Amino acid sequence: MATATRFRTLKDMPKEDYLSPGNTLCAGCGGILALRIFHKVLGPKVAWVNAAGCMTVSMSYPLSPLKSNWLYTAFASAPAGAQGVRDALDVLMAKGKLPASEDLKVVVVSGDGAAYDIGLQSTSGAIDRRLDFYYLCYDNEAYGNTGFQMSTSTPYGSSTKTTPATAAYPLGNTARKKDLFEVWRAMKAPYVATLANSHGLDFLRKVERGSEIKGPRLYIAFAACPTGWGFDTRNSVEIEKLAVQTGVWPLKESVNGAVRHTFVPRALIPVSDYLKTQERFNHLFEPSEKTEAIDAIQESVNVYWKEAGAREGFEVKLPGSSSR
Amino acid sequence: MTVRVRFHGRGGQGAKTASRILGNAAFNDGYFTQDFPIYGAERRGAPVTAFTRFSREEITERGFIFSPDISAVMDDSLIADTLANPFSGLRRGGVAVVNTTKAKGSVVPGRDDVKSVCLDLTGQALKTLGKPVLSAGIAAAVARISGINKEALLTAVVDELKDIGLSAEMVQKNVGFAAAIYGELSPLELKTEELDAREELVPLAVVVSEGGIEAVTQAGNSAIRHTGNWRTFRPNIDYEKCTDCMMCYAYCPESAMAVGPDGRVKIDYDNCKGCMICMVECPLKAISQTLEGGA
Repeated sequence: MATATRFRTLKDMPKEDYLSPGNTLCAGCGGILALRIFHKVLGPKVAWVNAAGCMTVSMSYPLSPLKSNWLYTAFASAPAGAQGVRDALDVLMAKGKLPASEDLKVVVVSGDGAAYDIGLQSTSGAIDRRLDFYYLCYDNEAYGNTGFQMSTSTPYGSSTKTTPATAAYPLGNTARKKDLFEVWRAMKAPYVATLANSHGLDFLRKVERGSEIKGPRLYIAFAACPTGWGFDTRNSVEIEKLAVQTGVWPLKESVNGAVRHTFVPRALIPVSDYLKTQERFNHLFEPSEKTEAIDAIQESVNVYWKEAGAREGFEVKLPGSSSR
Repeated sequence: MTVRVRFHGRGGQGAKTASRILGNAAFNDGYFTQDFPIYGAERRGAPVTAFTRFSREEITERGFIFSPDISAVMDDSLIADTLANPFSGLRRGGVAVVNTTKAKGSVVPGRDDVKSVCLDLTGQALKTLGKPVLSAGIAAAVARISGINKEALLTAVVDELKDIGLSAEMVQKNVGFAAAIYGELSPLELKTEELDAREELVPLAVVVSEGGIEAVTQAGNSAIRHTGNWRTFRPNIDYEKCTDCMMCYAYCPESAMAVGPDGRVKIDYDNCKGCMICMVECPLKAISQTLEGGA
């Protein structure tokens, strides 16, 4: 993948904004920030196909921040909607009714609820049909729009509305986060990538790289959620940075099945530094520190990086357990 | 007599929690109580409404409170916000409790038949809690005005805030916050009278009126919404220190920053929500914050 990039530094981020100010999302939202950056790389000619989620309420009639097109579908069916839009554009162009210069890039945008859970079967169908589309999942690790209920993207140890930390369940959610990256890779999607707003240059280049490929392309953008995760809006990008530096959120891509980590931390920061920044993990530290759970989270991160390093030939210095 | 309280806040300020603290406090004091929010697309910064009713007798009323005895407004920018209309239906002889540093005297435009109580809750919250979350303070103000016992209130603050997962230290700070506000005020007589139906009509003035119908078909028309009134803090760029590195611009989730023809970043204060990501991300510390006037 030695193609030339138009992004050498973050300063090369395109200065055109295809999102107007005045959206109705929470201040400090990582999801709309990801959408804004994504749109900048794709340019103005985009048809967004949205599954129910936070981004749906970025607009409310009659006001919308988008300068491009938007089709709102039901929770389960955004990729099916994308198929319809793609087909319509192709048919119109084939009949000579739409000049090729007016073709649109078709992008599904949804949260993790639709991407990991409710919309997974229509996604599978679209991948199977080799639909030429992008899927941008802003992953805030729960059903944020409805008040932060657990999804299959919710990480181990996170408290949510449906998995609160209680006397009977002191850790909150005890299920492991689903690996959507691997799900898409297993379905032979030609391009799969993870993104973090905090690593903007990596973000820009991946969207650029994916644009050179045809077929189903997935982007999972880590979307810090001040409201659901419980932190001050100003730390939104810093928390994403910490997730990357602790190894909790690996930045990687898969091109035709070949995985490459696009950012390899030299030494991982302990996960507790990340967990401590958010109220959803408060119960892991109060009233007393749940060392076993924190160590388990650290261990799963360590195992991940050891295995990835062995496969790709890099070495990451791992932190010790918190109970040293 | 039933006391009907309507809380108006912006998402994140704690309007819903305030209604719960007050309801719980009244219950601890032996009242029958109800508390509930409006469920809609609430989010940080957007207008949020919540209700509490309490009475010595069983309450048979249900549903939203259209004619409150007390209207508690946690953000003075909501007074002029037609999506919130915080004083609509406020009863004659009722009380408007408003978090503000700007207004003095009467805060309810055109109504000399209601009492006004102005408090600097944001200032007090920043001092005691370190963040502008007002639930304990506004609940304390309403509890004091309506004569609820102090112990009942403080127990409710602890119970409700523990319940939503606050740390023990933060809960104690909130108890201090509530006690301070409680101590500032004294009970008011609540002899109220409902407005007649005609007076109560809320003028339908949604945001459509700002843009007119043609705005509907205009791409990216949300800029006329002016989310700038969500701000607690205002970012200020020191152009002497700024080197145009564009970090703030890159990480503004709102597109509320634009690069001018001179290559310098300009903040769109009409729509900046004051998340302050720009200040944290600026590598040169060229962005500072000031507390917005009023709440």
